[in-house]
Amino acid sequence: MAGVSMKDIKLRIRSMESTKQITKAMEMVAASKLRRAQERVANSRPYFEILFDTLNTIANNTEDFSSPYLEKREIRKSCFVVIGGDRGLAGGYNHNVFKLALSRMEGKNVCVVPIGKKCLEFFRSHGVEVLTEAYATAAEVHVGDCFTVSKMLSRGFLAGEFDEVCVVYTNFVSMLSQAPAVLELLPLAYHPRPGDTSSDCLTLYEPDSVSVFDAIIPEYLGGLIYGALCESVTSEQGARRTAMDAATKNAEEMIADLSLKFNRARQGAITQEITEIVAGAET
Amino acid sequence: MTFHLQVVTPDGLAFEGEAEKISVRTQEGIIGILPRHIDYVAPLGMGEAVITEAEGKVRRAACIGGMVAVHSGAVRLVATTFEWAENIDLERAKEAEQKARAIMAREGLSDRDLKLAEARLHRSLVRQAVGKGN
Repeated sequence: MAGVSMKDIKLRIRSMESTKQITKAMEMVAASKLRRAQERVANSRPYFEILFDTLNTIANNTEDFSSPYLEKREIRKSCFVVIGGDRGLAGGYNHNVFKLALSRMEGKNVCVVPIGKKCLEFFRSHGVEVLTEAYATAAEVHVGDCFTVSKMLSRGFLAGEFDEVCVVYTNFVSMLSQAPAVLELLPLAYHPRPGDTSSDCLTLYEPDSVSVFDAIIPEYLGGLIYGALCESVTSEQGARRTAMDAATKNAEEMIADLSLKFNRARQGAITQEITEIVAGAET
Repeated sequence: MTFHLQVVTPDGLAFEGEAEKISVRTQEGIIGILPRHIDYVAPLGMGEAVITEAEGKVRRAACIGGMVAVHSGAVRLVATTFEWAENIDLERAKEAEQKARAIMAREGLSDRDLKLAEARLHRSLVRQAVGKGN
Protein backbone atom coordinates (compact mmCIF):
# COMPACT_ATOMS: atom_id res chain seq x y z
CA MET A 1 0.00 0.00 0.00
CA ALA A 2 2.70 2.44 1.03
CA GLY A 3 4.82 1.50 -1.99
CA VAL A 4 2.07 2.28 -4.52
CA SER A 5 1.34 5.71 -3.11
CA MET A 6 5.07 6.43 -3.01
CA LYS A 7 5.30 5.69 -6.72
CA ASP A 8 2.24 7.84 -7.42
CA ILE A 9 3.69 10.73 -5.52
CA LYS A 10 6.99 10.41 -7.33
CA LEU A 11 5.22 10.50 -10.68
CA ARG A 12 3.27 13.59 -9.71
CA ILE A 13 6.40 15.33 -8.52
CA ARG A 14 8.09 14.59 -11.82
CA SER A 15 5.16 15.92 -13.86
CA MET A 16 4.99 19.05 -11.70
CA GLU A 17 8.67 19.59 -12.28
CA SER A 18 8.31 19.53 -16.04
CA THR A 19 5.33 21.90 -15.82
CA LYS A 20 7.43 24.21 -13.74
CA GLN A 21 10.20 24.16 -16.31
CA ILE A 22 7.78 25.13 -19.05
CA THR A 23 6.22 27.98 -17.13
CA LYS A 24 9.65 29.20 -16.09
CA ALA A 25 10.82 29.21 -19.71
CA MET A 26 7.67 31.04 -20.83
CA GLU A 27 8.21 33.64 -18.16
CA MET A 28 11.76 34.25 -19.33
CA VAL A 29 10.73 34.51 -22.97
CA ALA A 30 8.01 36.98 -22.01
CA ALA A 31 10.48 39.05 -20.01
CA SER A 32 12.91 39.36 -22.92
CA LYS A 33 10.11 40.13 -25.39
CA LEU A 34 8.86 42.76 -22.99
CA ARG A 35 12.19 44.51 -23.03
CA ARG A 36 12.25 44.52 -26.84
CA ALA A 37 8.71 45.88 -27.01
CA GLN A 38 9.61 48.70 -24.66
CA GLU A 39 12.59 49.63 -26.82
CA ARG A 40 10.32 49.73 -29.85
CA VAL A 41 8.03 52.21 -28.13
CA ALA A 42 10.95 54.43 -27.15
CA ASN A 43 12.35 54.42 -30.71
CA SER A 44 9.13 55.48 -32.35
CA ARG A 45 8.22 58.23 -29.94
CA PRO A 46 10.13 61.20 -31.49
CA TYR A 47 8.50 60.55 -34.86
CA PHE A 48 4.99 61.00 -33.54
CA GLU A 49 5.89 63.89 -31.30
CA ILE A 50 7.14 65.84 -34.29
CA LEU A 51 3.99 65.04 -36.27
CA PHE A 52 1.80 66.12 -33.38
CA ASP A 53 3.78 69.33 -33.00
CA THR A 54 3.30 70.15 -36.65
CA LEU A 55 -0.43 69.49 -36.46
CA ASN A 56 -0.60 71.77 -33.45
CA THR A 57 1.28 74.60 -35.08
CA ILE A 58 -0.89 74.44 -38.18
CA ALA A 59 -4.13 74.41 -36.22
CA ASN A 60 -3.01 77.26 -34.03
CA ASN A 61 -1.76 79.51 -36.79
CA THR A 62 -4.53 79.15 -39.28
CA GLU A 63 -7.64 81.27 -39.10
CA ASP A 64 -11.03 79.69 -39.84
CA PHE A 65 -9.50 76.32 -39.39
CA SER A 66 -11.65 73.37 -40.39
CA SER A 67 -11.03 69.84 -41.54
CA PRO A 68 -13.35 66.97 -42.42
CA TYR A 69 -11.48 64.86 -39.87
CA LEU A 70 -12.61 67.09 -37.02
CA GLU A 71 -16.26 67.15 -38.01
CA LYS A 72 -18.67 65.43 -35.63
CA ARG A 73 -21.52 63.58 -37.31
CA GLU A 74 -24.53 61.67 -36.16
CA ILE A 75 -23.29 58.17 -35.36
CA ARG A 76 -24.93 55.52 -37.48
CA LYS A 77 -22.05 53.11 -37.68
CA SER A 78 -18.96 52.72 -35.54
CA CYS A 79 -15.70 51.04 -36.37
CA PHE A 80 -13.63 49.44 -33.64
CA VAL A 81 -10.00 48.44 -33.90
CA VAL A 82 -9.54 45.85 -31.17
CA ILE A 83 -6.03 44.80 -30.28
CA GLY A 84 -5.75 41.46 -28.51
CA GLY A 85 -3.18 38.70 -28.27
CA ASP A 86 -2.27 35.78 -30.52
CA ARG A 87 -2.07 33.28 -27.71
CA GLY A 88 -3.68 32.58 -24.38
CA LEU A 89 -1.88 31.86 -21.10
CA ALA A 90 -1.58 35.52 -20.30
CA GLY A 91 -3.88 35.83 -17.32
CA GLY A 92 -6.90 38.02 -17.97
CA TYR A 93 -5.26 39.98 -20.77
CA ASN A 94 -7.51 38.96 -23.66
CA HIS A 95 -10.66 38.67 -21.56
CA ASN A 96 -10.35 42.21 -20.18
CA VAL A 97 -9.94 43.78 -23.62
CA PHE A 98 -12.92 41.91 -25.05
CA LYS A 99 -15.12 42.77 -22.09
CA LEU A 100 -14.40 46.48 -22.49
CA ALA A 101 -14.87 46.32 -26.26
CA LEU A 102 -18.25 44.58 -25.90
CA SER A 103 -19.48 47.06 -23.31
CA ARG A 104 -18.56 49.95 -25.63
CA MET A 105 -20.21 48.30 -28.62
CA GLU A 106 -23.52 47.68 -26.92
CA GLY A 107 -26.48 49.06 -28.82
CA LYS A 108 -24.32 50.30 -31.69
CA ASN A 109 -24.09 49.25 -35.28
CA VAL A 110 -20.47 48.17 -35.41
CA CYS A 111 -17.76 46.66 -37.54
CA VAL A 112 -14.41 45.49 -36.23
CA VAL A 113 -10.80 45.42 -37.35
CA PRO A 114 -9.37 42.70 -35.12
CA ILE A 115 -5.66 42.53 -34.44
CA GLY A 116 -4.51 39.27 -32.88
CA LYS A 117 -5.63 35.68 -33.47
CA LYS A 118 -7.66 35.40 -30.26
CA CYS A 119 -9.40 38.61 -31.15
CA LEU A 120 -10.45 37.44 -34.59
CA GLU A 121 -11.80 34.17 -33.15
CA PHE A 122 -13.71 36.02 -30.45
CA PHE A 123 -15.51 38.45 -32.74
CA ARG A 124 -16.21 35.82 -35.31
CA SER A 125 -17.88 33.62 -32.73
CA HIS A 126 -19.91 36.62 -31.54
CA GLY A 127 -21.11 37.31 -35.06
CA VAL A 128 -19.70 40.84 -35.32
CA GLU A 129 -18.94 42.16 -38.79
CA VAL A 130 -15.20 41.84 -39.42
CA LEU A 131 -13.81 44.47 -41.78
CA THR A 132 -10.50 42.82 -42.59
CA GLU A 133 -8.67 39.71 -41.48
CA ALA A 134 -5.30 40.78 -42.77
CA TYR A 135 -3.94 41.63 -39.34
CA ALA A 136 -4.79 38.44 -37.50
CA THR A 137 -1.36 37.94 -35.95
CA ALA A 138 -0.47 40.84 -33.67
CA ALA A 139 3.18 39.85 -33.47
CA GLU A 140 3.60 40.28 -37.22
CA VAL A 141 1.98 43.70 -37.51
CA HIS A 142 4.60 46.32 -38.35
CA VAL A 143 4.57 50.07 -38.57
CA GLY A 144 3.72 49.90 -42.25
CA ASP A 145 0.59 47.86 -41.51
CA CYS A 146 -0.55 50.44 -38.98
CA PHE A 147 -0.32 53.11 -41.66
CA THR A 148 -2.25 50.94 -44.07
CA VAL A 149 -4.97 50.45 -41.45
CA SER A 150 -5.11 54.14 -40.62
CA LYS A 151 -5.32 55.12 -44.30
CA MET A 152 -8.10 52.63 -44.82
CA LEU A 153 -9.95 53.97 -41.79
CA SER A 154 -9.53 57.62 -42.76
CA ARG A 155 -10.76 56.89 -46.25
CA GLY A 156 -13.76 55.00 -44.86
CA PHE A 157 -14.47 57.84 -42.47
CA LEU A 158 -14.35 60.48 -45.18
CA ALA A 159 -16.50 58.35 -47.48
CA GLY A 160 -19.11 58.03 -44.71
CA GLU A 161 -18.76 54.27 -44.31
CA PHE A 162 -18.57 54.83 -40.57
CA ASP A 163 -18.95 57.90 -38.40
CA GLU A 164 -16.74 57.00 -35.50
CA VAL A 165 -13.47 55.10 -35.11
CA CYS A 166 -12.20 53.78 -31.78
CA VAL A 167 -9.22 51.71 -30.74
CA VAL A 168 -9.56 49.27 -27.84
CA TYR A 169 -6.18 48.33 -26.47
CA THR A 170 -4.39 47.59 -23.21
CA ASN A 171 -2.47 50.27 -21.42
CA PHE A 172 0.81 49.22 -19.88
CA VAL A 173 0.61 50.84 -16.46
CA SER A 174 3.43 48.90 -14.84
CA MET A 175 4.99 45.45 -14.80
CA LEU A 176 2.20 44.25 -12.52
CA SER A 177 -0.87 46.04 -13.80
CA GLN A 178 -2.27 46.47 -17.28
CA ALA A 179 -5.55 48.25 -17.86
CA PRO A 180 -7.72 48.02 -20.99
CA ALA A 181 -8.53 51.41 -22.52
CA VAL A 182 -10.44 53.01 -25.37
CA LEU A 183 -8.93 55.63 -27.63
CA GLU A 184 -11.18 57.68 -29.90
CA LEU A 185 -9.44 58.22 -33.24
CA LEU A 186 -12.05 59.82 -35.45
CA PRO A 187 -13.55 62.36 -35.40
CA LEU A 188 -10.29 63.66 -34.08
CA ALA A 189 -10.68 64.91 -30.54
CA TYR A 190 -8.33 67.77 -30.96
CA HIS A 191 -7.60 70.48 -28.44
CA PRO A 192 -5.19 73.16 -29.57
CA ARG A 193 -2.89 74.15 -26.79
CA PRO A 194 -3.75 77.75 -25.95
CA GLY A 195 -0.98 80.31 -25.93
CA ASP A 196 0.97 78.29 -28.43
CA THR A 197 0.68 80.80 -31.25
CA SER A 198 4.36 81.26 -31.87
CA SER A 199 5.93 83.28 -34.64
CA ASP A 200 5.45 80.42 -37.08
CA CYS A 201 2.94 82.32 -39.19
CA LEU A 202 5.61 82.82 -41.85
CA THR A 203 5.91 79.14 -42.58
CA LEU A 204 5.28 78.16 -46.15
CA TYR A 205 2.90 75.27 -46.50
CA GLU A 206 2.71 73.47 -49.78
CA PRO A 207 0.14 73.28 -51.31
CA ASP A 208 -1.59 74.98 -48.34
CA SER A 209 -1.86 74.52 -44.62
CA VAL A 210 -5.20 72.71 -44.59
CA SER A 211 -4.10 70.17 -47.22
CA VAL A 212 -0.91 69.58 -45.28
CA PHE A 213 -3.00 69.04 -42.16
CA ASP A 214 -5.29 66.58 -43.94
CA ALA A 215 -2.33 64.74 -45.46
CA ILE A 216 -0.59 64.37 -42.13
CA ILE A 217 -3.63 63.14 -40.21
CA PRO A 218 -3.64 59.57 -41.56
CA GLU A 219 0.04 59.34 -40.64
CA TYR A 220 -0.69 60.65 -37.20
CA LEU A 221 -3.55 58.19 -36.73
CA GLY A 222 -1.25 55.41 -37.89
CA GLY A 223 1.09 56.57 -35.18
CA LEU A 224 -1.65 56.40 -32.56
CA ILE A 225 -2.57 52.89 -33.68
CA TYR A 226 1.08 51.85 -33.63
CA GLY A 227 1.47 53.32 -30.17
CA ALA A 228 -1.61 51.44 -28.96
CA LEU A 229 -0.31 48.25 -30.56
CA CYS A 230 3.07 48.61 -28.88
CA GLU A 231 1.39 49.23 -25.52
CA SER A 232 -0.78 46.16 -26.06
CA VAL A 233 2.11 43.91 -27.03
CA THR A 234 4.08 45.11 -24.02
CA SER A 235 1.04 44.52 -21.80
CA GLU A 236 0.53 41.04 -23.20
CA GLN A 237 4.11 40.12 -22.37
CA GLY A 238 3.77 41.72 -18.95
CA ALA A 239 0.55 39.85 -18.22
CA ARG A 240 2.06 36.60 -19.42
CA ARG A 241 5.15 37.14 -17.33
CA THR A 242 3.06 37.71 -14.20
CA ALA A 243 0.79 34.75 -14.93
CA MET A 244 3.71 32.43 -15.57
CA ASP A 245 5.53 33.69 -12.50
CA ALA A 246 2.48 32.77 -10.41
CA ALA A 247 2.26 29.39 -12.13
CA THR A 248 5.91 28.66 -11.39
CA LYS A 249 5.42 29.62 -7.75
CA ASN A 250 2.38 27.37 -7.48
CA ALA A 251 4.29 24.50 -9.02
CA GLU A 252 7.11 25.00 -6.54
CA GLU A 253 4.67 25.02 -3.66
CA MET A 254 3.07 21.81 -4.86
CA ILE A 255 6.44 20.15 -5.30
CA ALA A 256 7.43 21.07 -1.74
CA ASP A 257 4.14 19.75 -0.44
CA LEU A 258 4.44 16.52 -2.42
CA SER A 259 8.08 15.99 -1.36
CA LEU A 260 6.97 16.23 2.25
CA LYS A 261 4.25 13.66 1.62
CA PHE A 262 6.71 11.45 -0.23
CA ASN A 263 9.21 11.53 2.63
CA ARG A 264 6.49 10.80 5.15
CA ALA A 265 5.33 7.81 3.11
CA ARG A 266 8.88 6.56 2.85
CA GLN A 267 9.39 6.93 6.58
CA GLY A 268 6.12 5.11 7.20
CA ALA A 269 7.20 2.24 4.95
CA ILE A 270 10.54 1.87 6.75
CA THR A 271 8.94 1.94 10.19
CA GLN A 272 6.45 -0.65 9.11
CA GLU A 273 9.19 -2.91 7.79
CA ILE A 274 11.21 -2.64 11.01
CA THR A 275 8.14 -3.42 13.08
CA GLU A 276 7.50 -6.48 10.96
CA ILE A 277 11.10 -7.71 11.29
CA VAL A 278 11.18 -7.13 15.05
CA ALA A 279 7.83 -8.86 15.44
CA GLY A 280 9.16 -11.82 13.38
CA ALA A 281 12.36 -12.08 15.56
CA GLU A 282 10.39 -12.04 18.82
CA THR A 283 8.27 -15.03 18.00
CA MET B 1 27.38 76.26 -46.11
CA THR B 2 25.44 73.47 -44.46
CA PHE B 3 22.28 72.99 -42.47
CA HIS B 4 21.31 70.60 -39.74
CA LEU B 5 19.37 67.59 -41.00
CA GLN B 6 17.43 65.03 -39.02
CA VAL B 7 15.75 62.03 -40.57
CA VAL B 8 13.19 60.61 -38.16
CA THR B 9 11.26 57.37 -38.74
CA PRO B 10 9.03 55.26 -36.50
CA ASP B 11 11.97 52.86 -36.13
CA GLY B 12 14.16 55.59 -34.71
CA LEU B 13 16.58 58.23 -35.95
CA ALA B 14 17.90 57.27 -39.40
CA PHE B 15 20.26 60.20 -39.89
CA GLU B 16 21.44 63.21 -37.96
CA GLY B 17 24.14 65.60 -39.06
CA GLU B 18 25.12 68.45 -41.33
CA ALA B 19 24.08 68.46 -44.98
CA GLU B 20 24.65 70.73 -47.94
CA LYS B 21 21.61 69.84 -49.94
CA ILE B 22 18.65 67.53 -49.91
CA SER B 23 16.08 66.70 -52.51
CA VAL B 24 12.90 64.78 -51.78
CA ARG B 25 9.69 64.01 -53.54
CA THR B 26 6.68 65.72 -52.01
CA GLN B 27 3.11 65.10 -53.09
CA GLU B 28 3.44 68.10 -55.40
CA GLY B 29 6.71 66.99 -56.99
CA ILE B 30 10.43 66.92 -56.32
CA ILE B 31 11.84 69.78 -54.28
CA GLY B 32 15.39 70.65 -53.33
CA ILE B 33 16.30 72.30 -50.06
CA LEU B 34 19.47 74.36 -49.67
CA PRO B 35 20.76 76.14 -46.57
CA ARG B 36 18.80 79.19 -45.38
CA HIS B 37 15.53 77.93 -46.77
CA ILE B 38 12.35 79.67 -45.61
CA ASP B 39 10.27 77.82 -42.99
CA TYR B 40 8.45 75.18 -44.92
CA VAL B 41 6.18 72.16 -44.47
CA ALA B 42 5.01 69.70 -47.13
CA PRO B 43 3.68 66.15 -47.05
CA LEU B 44 5.95 63.58 -48.71
CA GLY B 45 5.00 61.39 -51.64
CA MET B 46 6.74 58.21 -52.69
CA GLY B 47 10.16 58.67 -54.19
CA GLU B 48 13.87 59.06 -53.86
CA ALA B 49 15.64 61.25 -51.34
CA VAL B 50 19.12 62.47 -52.23
CA ILE B 51 21.20 63.87 -49.41
CA THR B 52 24.48 65.68 -50.01
CA GLU B 53 26.42 65.51 -46.78
CA ALA B 54 28.81 68.18 -45.54
CA GLU B 55 31.88 66.61 -47.18
CA GLY B 56 30.08 66.42 -50.51
CA LYS B 57 29.27 62.75 -50.14
CA VAL B 58 26.00 61.91 -51.86
CA ARG B 59 23.70 59.32 -50.33
CA ARG B 60 20.46 58.08 -51.78
CA ALA B 61 17.46 56.52 -50.11
CA ALA B 62 13.90 55.42 -50.74
CA CYS B 63 11.68 57.79 -48.81
CA ILE B 64 7.94 57.15 -48.53
CA GLY B 65 5.18 59.00 -46.69
CA GLY B 66 5.36 61.49 -43.87
CA MET B 67 6.46 65.09 -44.25
CA VAL B 68 9.42 67.39 -44.60
CA ALA B 69 9.69 70.44 -42.35
CA VAL B 70 12.13 73.32 -42.30
CA HIS B 71 12.13 75.25 -39.08
CA SER B 72 14.52 78.14 -38.43
CA GLY B 73 17.18 76.70 -40.69
CA ALA B 74 17.04 73.10 -39.48
CA VAL B 75 15.49 70.45 -41.70
CA ARG B 76 13.51 67.53 -40.39
CA LEU B 77 12.52 64.71 -42.68
CA VAL B 78 9.78 62.82 -40.92
CA ALA B 79 9.32 59.73 -43.08
CA THR B 80 7.16 56.64 -42.68
CA THR B 81 9.75 54.55 -44.50
CA PHE B 82 13.32 55.60 -45.09
CA GLU B 83 15.79 53.10 -46.48
CA TRP B 84 19.31 53.84 -47.67
CA ALA B 85 19.90 52.60 -51.23
CA GLU B 86 22.59 50.16 -50.06
CA ASN B 87 20.20 48.57 -47.55
CA ILE B 88 17.38 47.87 -49.94
CA ASP B 89 16.67 44.21 -50.46
CA LEU B 90 15.95 44.02 -54.19
CA GLU B 91 14.71 40.43 -53.98
CA ARG B 92 12.13 41.36 -51.41
CA ALA B 93 11.01 44.40 -53.37
CA LYS B 94 10.59 42.25 -56.46
CA GLU B 95 8.58 39.69 -54.50
CA ALA B 96 6.34 42.48 -53.17
CA GLU B 97 5.84 43.72 -56.73
CA GLN B 98 4.78 40.29 -57.94
CA LYS B 99 2.46 39.83 -55.00
CA ALA B 100 0.81 43.19 -55.62
CA ARG B 101 0.43 42.46 -59.32
CA ALA B 102 -1.10 39.07 -58.54
CA ILE B 103 -3.66 40.70 -56.26
CA MET B 104 -4.51 43.33 -58.86
CA ALA B 105 -4.98 40.66 -61.53
CA ARG B 106 -7.72 39.03 -59.47
CA GLU B 107 -11.31 39.67 -60.43
CA GLY B 108 -14.06 41.08 -58.28
CA LEU B 109 -11.65 43.08 -56.17
CA SER B 110 -13.17 45.65 -53.83
CA ASP B 111 -12.16 49.26 -54.33
CA ARG B 112 -10.37 49.27 -51.01
CA ASP B 113 -8.26 46.20 -51.74
CA LEU B 114 -7.38 47.52 -55.17
CA LYS B 115 -6.11 50.79 -53.70
CA LEU B 116 -4.05 48.95 -51.10
CA ALA B 117 -2.50 46.74 -53.78
CA GLU B 118 -1.77 49.75 -55.98
CA ALA B 119 0.01 51.50 -53.12
CA ARG B 120 2.01 48.35 -52.44
CA LEU B 121 3.03 48.08 -56.08
CA HIS B 122 4.05 51.72 -56.18
CA ARG B 123 6.19 51.32 -53.05
CA SER B 124 7.96 48.23 -54.36
CA LEU B 125 8.68 49.97 -57.68
CA VAL B 126 10.17 52.98 -55.92
CA ARG B 127 12.36 50.75 -53.78
CA GLN B 128 13.55 48.81 -56.79
CA ALA B 129 14.38 51.96 -58.72
CA VAL B 130 16.39 53.39 -55.83
CA GLY B 131 18.07 50.08 -55.07
CA LYS B 132 19.12 49.45 -58.68
CA GLY B 133 20.69 52.86 -59.15
CA ASN B 134 23.19 52.02 -56.45
